[in-house]
Amino acid sequence: MSDNVDSYKMRVENLSMYYENFKALEDISLDFHREHITALIGPSGCGKSTLIRCLNRMNDIIEGSRVEGGITLDGVNIYDPGYDVISLRRRVGMVFQRPNPFPKSIYENVAYGPRLAGIKDREKLDSIVEESLKKAALWDEVKKNLRESGQRLSGGQQQRLCIARVIAVQPEVILFDEPCSAIDPISTQKIEDLMAELKKNYTIVIVTHNMQQAARVSDYTAFMLVQEQGEAGRIVEFGDTDTIFTKPSDKRTENYITGRFG
Amino acid sequence: MDSRRADRIATTVFWAVGLITLGILLFIILEIFGRGLITALSPSFFAGKPEAREAGGGIWPMIASSVYLAVLTMLISLPIAVGAAIYLAEFSREGRLNRFIRFCLDSLSTLPSIVFGIFGMTIFVIKFRWSYCLLAGACTLALLTLPILLRSTEESLRQVPLTYREASMSLGASRWTTVRKVVMPTAMPGIISGTILPVGRIMGEAAAIIYTTGLFVRTIPKSPFDPAAPLAGYIWYAQTEAMVPDYRRIVNGGAAMLLILVFLINFAARRLAKYYSKRKSLGG
Repeated sequence: MSDNVDSYKMRVENLSMYYENFKALEDISLDFHREHITALIGPSGCGKSTLIRCLNRMNDIIEGSRVEGGITLDGVNIYDPGYDVISLRRRVGMVFQRPNPFPKSIYENVAYGPRLAGIKDREKLDSIVEESLKKAALWDEVKKNLRESGQRLSGGQQQRLCIARVIAVQPEVILFDEPCSAIDPISTQKIEDLMAELKKNYTIVIVTHNMQQAARVSDYTAFMLVQEQGEAGRIVEFGDTDTIFTKPSDKRTENYITGRFG
Repeated sequence: MDSRRADRIATTVFWAVGLITLGILLFIILEIFGRGLITALSPSFFAGKPEAREAGGGIWPMIASSVYLAVLTMLISLPIAVGAAIYLAEFSREGRLNRFIRFCLDSLSTLPSIVFGIFGMTIFVIKFRWSYCLLAGACTLALLTLPILLRSTEESLRQVPLTYREASMSLGASRWTTVRKVVMPTAMPGIISGTILPVGRIMGEAAAIIYTTGLFVRTIPKSPFDPAAPLAGYIWYAQTEAMVPDYRRIVNGGAAMLLILVFLINFAARRLAKYYSKRKSLGG
């Protein structure tokens, strides 16, 4: 693992996160390496989804949520007052647990982000849409019916459409929040292959329930846990994926990955 | 009693209750059409001018008044309702102001329509010196329909899945852009169907317009400031005040016509809502 600070795209520093008076995350520190995949694993309710949603400030939507500590993107704290959340979300894209294409055509789904950015030129949009769908490995399946509703696609195709929609915004980081939990194994395979391809150009963070998936796709893994019911989620162990899965240093990590709980 | 038998009894009871509802509706429709359909469908009646003293008058200006009134009311009421619904569903935080707004809406929706009528007369007809006119009626009915319209619009907005909003915002859209580009288009069919009830209410409202639009006109209103005579009010007027000998015919025919109008509007709104949802699934 390189210690060169510049190799970190995002850093979480002593982050605690609250919903009203409930502390959901406590003292999280974590680094995300450029152009690598980092997996967040842990049992349900350990705060891994909450954590990933801090990285693009999606938790801001929830009333009464607040954070202590900070998260930097290229060295700048994204929780600084006055930080432009809209530009943050363009730079840090997100793929959700359930495929959530808009009730619009395939084309309009992908063009949504670029249109928001003010791109109106038809040819330019056409080429962004084609390029993004190709990168999401969906182009060949949909190129003949770009005008059809995105919601008519299969679950796995919808998820790849959502990935294309994110790519179209040209983000630097892509967050995957349990992207395969609602789709079939063959589509899961496709999405995993896709992630391996995407990490050449993007910094990727994935939350997953599935330990095999974390082991297959990620370079680094963080194991999170809620010690006692009602307490905040914490990081138990963080390191490169091989080490976490072959010789974890914490007993609880070992118990979890060998399937003794969770 | 074993559960299968209980199930059968319950099924029968619910089926019977459903049938009773259907029966009541059918009875009303058949009764009204039975009395008035032949009159209502004769061109000299629905396309003719009303008479003040002689028999044989028509109701054409009344039909036009009703339709104009519904359109004008919606033009006033819908933007306010949609705006307020967007505020309540998308922007407001649960708090004292929010609760107060809801309290006002609930109070407004339980007020008897005659109260709206008197209020409308006091404010629009007298204070604003508009006299009896379409606009005075439309403003009054806008107040009356606002709570229903707002509720249904808010409901349609809330039915748009949260995941659409999340997706939009995660792509760098602001809350307002998300409302405009994703939430509103998705909620559109629901918002349109939500106008059916208030429009029906406007069509059938007599108490709130007696003192605001007027009750008898011989020509179609040409501007919002012209007096009008919506059908429901005219039916009441014909039954109680009119000096024409054939008032029974006017009342029966008018009632049948009113029913036809409401059915037509209902049908049109459904078609429009369907068109919107179809366009949406095709990806508009």
